[in-house]
Amino acid sequence: MKKFWKLAATAAAASLLVTACGGGDSSSDTTAPADTTPAASLDVKAAVVYLGVPDDKGWTYQHEQGILAAEKELGIEIKRVENVLDNADSEKVFEQLAGEGYQVIFATSFGYGAPMAKVAVKNPTTCMQWATGAKFLLTKDGGGEFATFDDVPKNLGTYFGAAEEARYLSGIAAGKATKNGKLGYVAAFPIPEVIRGINAFTLGVRSVNPTATVKVSWTSTWFDPTKEKQAAEALLDSGVDVLAQHQDTTAPGVAAEAVGAKWVGYNSDVREAAPKAFLTAPTWNWGPYYAKTIKAVAEGTCPADEYYGSMADGMVTLADPSDLVDADAKTMISEKAAAIIDGSFAPFTGPINDQDGKEVIAAGEKADLGALLSMSYFVEGVEGSPKG
Amino acid sequence: MNLPFRLAFEQRTETPRRLAVMVPLLSVLAAIVAGGIFLFATGYSPFETYSNMLSDGFFSSTGITDTLGLSTVLICTGIAAAFAFQMNLYNIGGEGQLYLGMIGGAWAGLFFGDRLPGFVMIPVVLLVGAACGALWIALPAFVRARLGTSEIVTTLLLTYIGASLVNHFIYRAGSYFRAPNTLFPQGRQVPDSAMLSPLGDTTMYPTFFMVTVLAVFLWWVVRRTEFGYRIQVISDSPRAARYAGISAQRTTVQVMMISGALSGLGGATLIVGTFGRLDPGIVVLGYGYAGIVIAALARNNMAAIIVSGILFAGLRTGGDKLQISTDTPIHIGVMLQGAILLFALGGEAFRRYRVRVVRAQTATAQGAAQ
Repeated sequence: MKKFWKLAATAAAASLLVTACGGGDSSSDTTAPADTTPAASLDVKAAVVYLGVPDDKGWTYQHEQGILAAEKELGIEIKRVENVLDNADSEKVFEQLAGEGYQVIFATSFGYGAPMAKVAVKNPTTCMQWATGAKFLLTKDGGGEFATFDDVPKNLGTYFGAAEEARYLSGIAAGKATKNGKLGYVAAFPIPEVIRGINAFTLGVRSVNPTATVKVSWTSTWFDPTKEKQAAEALLDSGVDVLAQHQDTTAPGVAAEAVGAKWVGYNSDVREAAPKAFLTAPTWNWGPYYAKTIKAVAEGTCPADEYYGSMADGMVTLADPSDLVDADAKTMISEKAAAIIDGSFAPFTGPINDQDGKEVIAAGEKADLGALLSMSYFVEGVEGSPKG
Repeated sequence: MNLPFRLAFEQRTETPRRLAVMVPLLSVLAAIVAGGIFLFATGYSPFETYSNMLSDGFFSSTGITDTLGLSTVLICTGIAAAFAFQMNLYNIGGEGQLYLGMIGGAWAGLFFGDRLPGFVMIPVVLLVGAACGALWIALPAFVRARLGTSEIVTTLLLTYIGASLVNHFIYRAGSYFRAPNTLFPQGRQVPDSAMLSPLGDTTMYPTFFMVTVLAVFLWWVVRRTEFGYRIQVISDSPRAARYAGISAQRTTVQVMMISGALSGLGGATLIVGTFGRLDPGIVVLGYGYAGIVIAALARNNMAAIIVSGILFAGLRTGGDKLQISTDTPIHIGVMLQGAILLFALGGEAFRRYRVRVVRAQTATAQGAAQ
């Protein structure tokens, strides 16, 4: 019985594909130059799953901006599914979306990975895209359920970007802004993504202020204004005069402004939240990736690679430094930004020592993507434990 | 304010049988109408929304199994709440006892690991979970029995401590419960022997049948056993119980511990099914709190909780799926779930009280007399 349904579904999918192709052919017959007309309306069902709501002014908000841009570019409507907790229960949501015929599903939180992979196995024609994920984590060695890397379903891709590039640049602004050389960092979880960001920020800070330190406070939450504010206040009480953050709210900025400290935001250009504290913010631009991926799916392919965007391709950006950043620092930032984009500079270039003074990246060497994605040590200058 | 009439609520001495059936039905109907007006006013089709909610929650193949799967833990927390409520013991900390059941269940699963076969492992996980839930309420039960300390406050406060414990066990580096290899902090998966397979290609587990049998068994205990009789006497008249030589103290502790154990069992069902690990996400799902509503909907009748638990689960499943099956935002689904529950509970007032319209003349006459 189950086989019959699978067959029927494949047949249905195939017939859809045929009609879709047929439609494409006839339209190119009637309209002469296909590339001059904008994609009027792509025939594809796409959905995005959010952990929170699109107006959080943080992570989800920034994805929503990308989705809106993709909708505009492709002339389609994308289904939003909001407030979906990223635990085993989210499997139901992915299953329902696949069942309703969505061809591509974007999942914008790390915790969706395992449930999504399960649904990907059962629905091989649905294209699954896991933000901030890494396929290694779905294998037995990475704590997942698939025996080897090759067993990870082929209809599952991951997407993320080198926020560390913008983090490094924001560190330059922060390193120039601090008066006492003590900086603070309100951080979510002790995972490579966050650790990498803290390290890149610290390297940026110390590139202009070699003895400065960055004190880390963990909150164990992505989005909790109260907790993040408390953590920020604790750091400020301990004497730091510049705060950075890996959190989805602007609470640390508000706390910094209240005591006259400076602040580096995250996710989106959040200067209006604390204009007297805001220096700059590493931000995301997801739109081009969403548009590109949906287009590929409409053409019948599922990008199943691990996409890692950068400043060069525009996925990672830095908000315009505010007037609180001096002209000297602004010049340094734009010079380094240009070097990062043309590939002549990378934040994680040796010699880099860890907290204990042990060399982790040799002089002249660049950390490769694998090393970046599994980073679990703090560099020299960070105060706190990378284990949480 | 001068209205031509006012409403007077008079307590009924006994509830007509007719009302016991009519009130819940009419309440749900009223909720549907009120929600429908709201949907219509905000530009959504009430008919389409409700039919989707119904089919997603009850009448589609994945809908009904998702609902029954979810109802498993909800029936547990429902009978847990009702078991205490029926003796006027307001254990509202079922949520916390559920966390402890999860912690205990996960511990048992990890500790006994592959040393025991599945048919031993599953009961062990469930029993350890239940025991941990009972332990979590032991202190509130004891101080309630001995000192009369409000169990409402103590059980609620312990819930927050329970939530912090779950977080601690997940996020602390090197925690026994934490998966060692994963980069993101998450619970360590219990071995396969400690997990049940779902029924076919669904999210429903055999534990559903276990909890329904348990609910019926408890119904029998309450109605037909000497223990149940003791509970009845104490809740009806503590003084009469004392004359009859029934120890209210001991029964209080017993009833509260059983209530805690049932919540803990609910937590353990999430280990043997669905989660298979300690999951910090559990602390925001509110299954324990839902049990309070489910018990109230069933008026603490153990067997009726099977029905109210399934209804509640269906509302939640259907409501949550609304944003995918239709264009209604998630908030509308949540709002409708809330409205239906609120009306159903509010309808209780009409069962207990007779509402009379008092004419204005009487009121003015009274005013004139003063």
